[in-house]
Amino acid sequence: MIMRWIATLSLSLLLALPARAANVQARLIRASNESGKSDTSLSDLQVKLKEKFGYKFYQQLGAQQQPLKTGTKLQLDLGQNFQVFVTPKSSDKHEQSLELEWYYGKTLLVRSVVKIVENGHLLVKGPEVGNDWIVLAVSVRN
Amino acid sequence: MKSHNIERISALADGELKGLSRWLTQRHVRHCPQCADEFARIERVRETLAACPPVVEMSDSADFFWSKVRREIAAREQETISIPMPRLSFADWLQVNRGILATVTSALVVVAGSIVMLQQPTRSGAVMVERVDTVIPNTVATPLKGAESDVAVIWVSGLEWTPDLDQMQECFDNIET
Repeated sequence: MIMRWIATLSLSLLLALPARAANVQARLIRASNESGKSDTSLSDLQVKLKEKFGYKFYQQLGAQQQPLKTGTKLQLDLGQNFQVFVTPKSSDKHEQSLELEWYYGKTLLVRSVVKIVENGHLLVKGPEVGNDWIVLAVSVRN
Repeated sequence: MKSHNIERISALADGELKGLSRWLTQRHVRHCPQCADEFARIERVRETLAACPPVVEMSDSADFFWSKVRREIAAREQETISIPMPRLSFADWLQVNRGILATVTSALVVVAGSIVMLQQPTRSGAVMVERVDTVIPNTVATPLKGAESDVAVIWVSGLEWTPDLDQMQECFDNIET
């Protein structure tokens, strides 16, 4: 009886340990005040986007996610001729150091080195299109 | 008494017979020479044994012997004696040492809990922009610091305005970087 109980406890503890693999996700977003341009796929970011950029509606134009591998340059094609190149520089348990390059076609819009914690977000305000803004959101997930 | 009964004669010699049995046996022994000889032989053996009682030889006097026994007991009183214990199985051991089992299990739970806690994502770190720049002329990329630690913002200002996404291509193709 006791041995059975210990075995169950040990198994539960082993299963409780999460399997972990870091992924980088980039999303191309259009910020607008025109109704109808709202996207449920951005529900996790809506509050932060409104707080940072002030627009009422946010539409996801494209998104891509890839697993991170230190030293390997990743290309994330977001559509609409936008691309993001991500090079992981280093990582520890909860933080990734990434080199980011955001391109429109062959034009480098911005490049940066950032440290992103798990479930943290980097938001980049990009070009203005009509009354709207193009925003890039980069996050790291496990 | 018609036959020669040796056991009866021996019993007579030992004084075990009473009453009529004793009178009849005595009468037989008086008139039977064979039984009279046997009775006489038994009487001689009894007399010989009574004359030479068994003597137990001891090297010590009784008092000295008992004093030696008491001294030996006193000397061995402090000795520890190992009593062989039966071998216990692991299940028996767990039954006997429930306290140890509970302590070890609790320690395991605490250690495993600490490991799980350490592996959980922490909010202690912050999203931090270490370096940012842009190569497009008349354009500035600025990292903005906010109150929230899990969000960082880079503000790229000065980029070419376009009326819609379709015209962006033509506009940005003309930018010299």
